[in-house]
Amino acid sequence: MNYESIWLVLLFPIVGFLIQALLGTRIEKMLGRRALGAIAVLPIVLSFVVGLLITLNTKGGPEATANIANLGKWIDAANLRIPFEFIVDPLSMTMVLIITGIGSLIHLYATGYMSEEKDYARFFTYMNLFIFSMLVLVLGANLVLLFVGWEGVGLCSYLLIGFWYKDLANAKAANKAFIVNRIGDWGLTLGLLMIVALLMKNQVGSSDGRYLSYDSMLPALRTALEHNPGMATVIGLLLFVGAAGKSAQFPLYLWLPDAMAGPTPVSALIHAATMVTSGVVLLNRMHVVFEMSPVASAIICAIGAFTALFAALIAFGQTDIKKVLAYSTVSQLGFMFIACGAGAYWAGMFHVTTHAFFKALLFLGAGAVIHAMAHNQDMRNYGNLRKYLPITFWTMILGTLAICAVGVPGVFGFAGFYSKEAILGAALANTHAQMEGIQVGQIAGWVGLGVAALTSIYMTRLTCLTFLGTEERWRNIPAADHHGHDDAHADEHHHELDANHTPKEVPPSMWFPLVVLALLSVGGGFVLANNGAFEHWLYPNELPILGKVSTEPSNIPLAMYSTIAAVGGIILGLAFYLKGLPKNQGFDESAWSPLRRLERDQFGYDHAMTVASVEGGGDIANALWKWFDNLLVDGVVEGSGKVSAGIGLLLKRFQTGYIRLYALMMLVGFVGFIGYFAYMLSQGGH
Amino acid sequence: MNGVPLGAYIGLSLFMFTTGVVGVIIRRNPIVIFMCIELMLNSVNLTFLTFARYQMASKPDDRIAMQNSMMAGQMMVIFVMAVAAAEVAVGLGIIMAIYRLRDSVDIDELNLLRG
Repeated sequence: MNYESIWLVLLFPIVGFLIQALLGTRIEKMLGRRALGAIAVLPIVLSFVVGLLITLNTKGGPEATANIANLGKWIDAANLRIPFEFIVDPLSMTMVLIITGIGSLIHLYATGYMSEEKDYARFFTYMNLFIFSMLVLVLGANLVLLFVGWEGVGLCSYLLIGFWYKDLANAKAANKAFIVNRIGDWGLTLGLLMIVALLMKNQVGSSDGRYLSYDSMLPALRTALEHNPGMATVIGLLLFVGAAGKSAQFPLYLWLPDAMAGPTPVSALIHAATMVTSGVVLLNRMHVVFEMSPVASAIICAIGAFTALFAALIAFGQTDIKKVLAYSTVSQLGFMFIACGAGAYWAGMFHVTTHAFFKALLFLGAGAVIHAMAHNQDMRNYGNLRKYLPITFWTMILGTLAICAVGVPGVFGFAGFYSKEAILGAALANTHAQMEGIQVGQIAGWVGLGVAALTSIYMTRLTCLTFLGTEERWRNIPAADHHGHDDAHADEHHHELDANHTPKEVPPSMWFPLVVLALLSVGGGFVLANNGAFEHWLYPNELPILGKVSTEPSNIPLAMYSTIAAVGGIILGLAFYLKGLPKNQGFDESAWSPLRRLERDQFGYDHAMTVASVEGGGDIANALWKWFDNLLVDGVVEGSGKVSAGIGLLLKRFQTGYIRLYALMMLVGFVGFIGYFAYMLSQGGH
Repeated sequence: MNGVPLGAYIGLSLFMFTTGVVGVIIRRNPIVIFMCIELMLNSVNLTFLTFARYQMASKPDDRIAMQNSMMAGQMMVIFVMAVAAAEVAVGLGIIMAIYRLRDSVDIDELNLLRG
């Protein structure tokens, strides 16, 4: 199939969305949940197949920019034209395969995971809409379509975080995600407008008004910014604000951990594998701008490194299995931004890909555990689950090895090994990201190496507490009072975790995706990194400005260091946690070490931000209401009314009601009028 | 013409009109006010007739034009009289109605237009 069939990829999910939205509950009543689930999974699988066929015919390189399928007019102003156009190139097709491939596995998983929930159709409505929006984001051939997808996925994320909206905490988490993302969107919008203004002012780029289409915009930006690095920095940083919002980087990361309030398949698909990586996609798309601005690149590197470290530390203070994975995601996203800052944009995308494999796997595995443990998410209640959940256990082990970046250099490594190696290598080997003479990129590389060790430790902690050890800690929860036999049967599905609970392995619809993702986590990196296959597929030519970006630092034995970090971290983790839950990390949180309590509280950052924004914002709003609205606005509005009323009171005196007075006034007026004209005429000489 | 000058007609007309105006403003009885209005209308009529006559006299050569100018002024007087008659009929009806309503037709008591 050639690139013009790309509309099919977009068509299936939107049709699936319409079916779910309009007919979902009816189908569920008539044919049952399995049928509805199958209808939800099918469009995504079809999209994947079509995407795969198109990808086989897609080549990278300069000719790829011509692969733009124009589906019609959209905004058609005199100087600015923005058609519905979709680009088929290695970057977009990589994302399409991740979105639809991982997406269909997660949809399949969700048919099992959500089978006991109400609102089955509503769930899949949002999920299909999400896939569609995400595809628009990556396939759109101009920044405005990207923005449409950007907002679409934001909306779906909001809807799905708040899926169980009856719980106030979930609704609040959804609001938080939406509002924090607005800050990022502000940056993205400004960056977009700056680009239009710049290109229109300099009269470069498209002759037909397609200023924001990648094929004409990127070369034009290069011309326009060549002698203007300050402008490149401004545009780059504004775009990065957008990327940081969506991809949960430091100042704006705080919505992502709360987003775990949504159902676990959502966490796996949206908040780990696809949507949160769209910031990296944006940086890859716009890499010309960042190539021209070392300062912006340095800031991206610094923020990425700091986020990676910060989130990895916080992960140690979490007891909720999904929260650990959420902070791990934030941390890994930091790695991707280190790569993009260092100039190795392909390495960022490589980590997006491998991360999609193993983080989706880890989240789905965590979902399987949560499913088996009666929706209790506290790892302090787990332990020895390998006995009950063998498939989940082994796949999760593979996922953990992948995220810990375990591998034997030169022989074989799990997926994360290759991408993390490329990122750290690029950061240490390049001098692109520098500011005021400081080699930010290299500092970020060393920090990243340390975070890699931390990653191994906290992931081992998660595995040990959940699956290993001999103590089955939920046995310590006192058994709930048993109701009558009928009652117990009635709420069988929603019983609480207690000592009598026996975890059961999950159904095939849930463990099958785990197995597929485990295979990808094991072999994906090896296959894609083979002779630099992924790099050459994504960037067949050297970068236009930076040229060849090396990922092998010449004087540092990086492979040895990172292997030591990965394996050493796992050994340390095993030493601490293999025996079970340490005494000072139990339910009594006052016995925790002060550092761990700090980490649990995100070093006070979330609290400070919440206080500053919600309460501070509330105070500002109150002050505005009192001083601006009540005094100024109301003053003007009511004042004008009062002034007219006063004038009316004054004029009222003349309305005596005596006819003769009116007649007199008419007479005086008339005589005055006539007199005036007579006078004027006599002056005019007529 | 006949030795009565134009100024005498206009002066009489002005006098009648001023009398009417002052009457309308100072009198309280609506009937008298009506009479004053008639006075004003008639002063206007007198002006019309005067000018018609003098116009005719100014065109002794053209008989048709002479007749037309005279007719125009006199027709206007007929119209004014018709309108005045209609006005009196309606006005007296209103006065009767007010009298039935309030048992008085004193203008100073009818200050319904007061703001």
